[in-house]
Amino acid sequence: MKELPWIVKHRPKRVDEVVDQEEAKREIGLWLEAWLKGSPPREKGLLLYGPPGVGKTSLVEAFVKERDLELLELNASDSRRREELERIVGVAAARRPLRKRLMVILMDEVDGIDPRADEGGIEFLASVLERTVNPIIMTANDPWKESLRPLRERSKLVAFRELTEAQVVTLLQSICEKERLKCDKEALGLIARRNRGDARAAINDLQAVAERGEVRLELVEKLVKGREKSLDIWRTLSELFYAEEGWRAKRAVTQSEEDYESLMAWINDNIPKKYKDPEDLYRAYDALARASLMLSRAKATGEWSFLRYVFDLMGPGVALAKKGEVSKERFSFPERIRAMAETKSMREVREELAALLAKRLLTSKATVKTEVLPYLFVIFRQGSPEAAAKLTLGYPFSSEMLKLLAGARASEIAALAEKLRGTKGEGRREEKRERRGLDKFLM
Amino acid sequence: MSVKELLWVEKYRPRTLSEVVNQREVVERLKLFVKEKNIPHLLFAGPPGTGKTTVAHALARELYGENYIQHLLELNASDERGIDTIRNKVKEFARSRTAPGIPFKIVLLDESDNMTADAQQALRRLMELYTASTRFILIANYPSKIIDPLQSRCAFFRFVALSREDVVGRLKYIAELENVEYEEEALDAIYDISEGDMRKAINVLQAAASLGKVTVNSVYRAVGLARPREVREMLELALAGKFEEARKALRKLMIEYGLSGEDVVKQMHREVFSSELKIPEEHRVLIADYIGEIHFRITEGSDDDIQLSALLAWLSLLGKRARR
Repeated sequence: MKELPWIVKHRPKRVDEVVDQEEAKREIGLWLEAWLKGSPPREKGLLLYGPPGVGKTSLVEAFVKERDLELLELNASDSRRREELERIVGVAAARRPLRKRLMVILMDEVDGIDPRADEGGIEFLASVLERTVNPIIMTANDPWKESLRPLRERSKLVAFRELTEAQVVTLLQSICEKERLKCDKEALGLIARRNRGDARAAINDLQAVAERGEVRLELVEKLVKGREKSLDIWRTLSELFYAEEGWRAKRAVTQSEEDYESLMAWINDNIPKKYKDPEDLYRAYDALARASLMLSRAKATGEWSFLRYVFDLMGPGVALAKKGEVSKERFSFPERIRAMAETKSMREVREELAALLAKRLLTSKATVKTEVLPYLFVIFRQGSPEAAAKLTLGYPFSSEMLKLLAGARASEIAALAEKLRGTKGEGRREEKRERRGLDKFLM
Repeated sequence: MSVKELLWVEKYRPRTLSEVVNQREVVERLKLFVKEKNIPHLLFAGPPGTGKTTVAHALARELYGENYIQHLLELNASDERGIDTIRNKVKEFARSRTAPGIPFKIVLLDESDNMTADAQQALRRLMELYTASTRFILIANYPSKIIDPLQSRCAFFRFVALSREDVVGRLKYIAELENVEYEEEALDAIYDISEGDMRKAINVLQAAASLGKVTVNSVYRAVGLARPREVREMLELALAGKFEEARKALRKLMIEYGLSGEDVVKQMHREVFSSELKIPEEHRVLIADYIGEIHFRITEGSDDDIQLSALLAWLSLLGKRARR
């Protein structure tokens, strides 16, 4: 009889058995504590994100066991269309806990919910997050996907870190002991290395090797080839940055499940994490910039056969740029995407302000942003408050726009504008429309 | 004195052709069109802040009177989303009624040199389609970027950068009316900074005036404050080998200040020959050359964040080699 898969058999039963992830443990613990105390946190969903095989699902299951909670688990193999989710999650989310036993709803791999095949699934889940009476925990490798925005905005995000090779080796060793297996340390090292940071894949490989005999280096070299299937973003990055040969780097980018444009954004942000020597940094960026240039040419001419050069440059071009060491720093999410999300409302206010002034000054928003706004900032932040206040009366600035223009001086200028308006009663009626924005400051 | 105040570029914008301080040749020719109550398609070309849009509006006002705006469709090629939106708006507008006595309406297309060659071809067909009821005024900084078939359909008007006398004269006029205390040399300094761009000159004057008496010092202070500090900081950080910090500054410029990659490139270029940037003289040309290459790639449609990151990485390397 075939043995139980080791990833099930040796799944951690207590929270402290999960390797590393101390920060995530603390955050999840506090969040669950609030539920258990009967005062659900403001964000009723948790979105756990990080590379595959670092313990996201295992940690949730360990928490459930340790605190004796109920668990409803839905993973990628279940259909997650709206009707299915309504039937299962919708009902569970509305069910009051029995005998005070809390039920955790675990949605695995929400980044795998297909906007087409699982139509309406994300929207429904987002609406459930607003009203659920039970804690909902989701996991994802890439939480920054555009389709996940509704979930992201309604959840607390918890990051999981990539495991180091040493941590994976330690984990494999402990399994070898439990299985009373003779394991060569170098062999375990190679398994860990070929599965960079993915404990689940490493354990699977260990079992596959163990079924053939002693875990020795030669056997591992023969059996563990690293996975051929499409590569998720984390694996793409590590295959790419650690590649010593051109073909390996090329395979990393062509087999990646990430599309080439997002992949470029990921590489763009991770080059400085992995290459610290300015020479390497420059060579890598030179290659990436030429890849991007080649892509724009493919788009402009419709000659998509140019894509092969895009892959050559962003794969081998970046990988072979290194002459020095590859830094141990962890891979990170593209900062630009995160920053765009965080500054969204501020950028919207800036756009509205530019549009308002563009209309009055008979010019484009782009010209307003570069040729007019900088001087307005001088007047509102460094100039006489009176000059700023008078301009505030001259244009229908909203309170958000005034805040953007004047920063810390916004309320001072709003108050002064109101005082000036009071001293001269002229044109009150036509100004009424413009007042709404300012009133917010004075209430 | 009113308590309300406008930006002086709006407040002192000429309303009629006669009020326009420069471009006399252009104005005289346009006045003939007004007399005939007919205009061909027009192309206004010239550097920023020389009055192209202002003159177009003044022309429309003289043709249609104070309510001219209902007979004028204003589009800005940089702000519209592609030729399809432009086509739909023109189609809708061409259907509306014309003014009594003037059988056409005006479509004003600003920054038209920002359109791709394909979009300009589509525009050409659009002009032919509605030629009975509409006239187009195309506005551009660089006429060479307008395709020949479009140029040949338009009467061409070249706007030139304003002279020192014209700019200083206008600044004086505004300063007197606004009761601004000023030094004569300060107005000269503003002209030097503006390079004949009236919009910029007036904005600098207003910003400097908000700081107090307008002196050479306050003018430079206003200009210095208006220029984002991050641009020079970014250059200095990159040259010092601090790539990641330099890129943080880059993203602040692009994301928080909303600058496009092209804006950042242009502002970096301004810093390269500034004496405040302490680098070996021969590096200035190298850097300008590289910035030019990056600028070209961005206009070709390449990702600006990646191209600018590559520029910063190159600067880090240049800095490192110079320190050796």
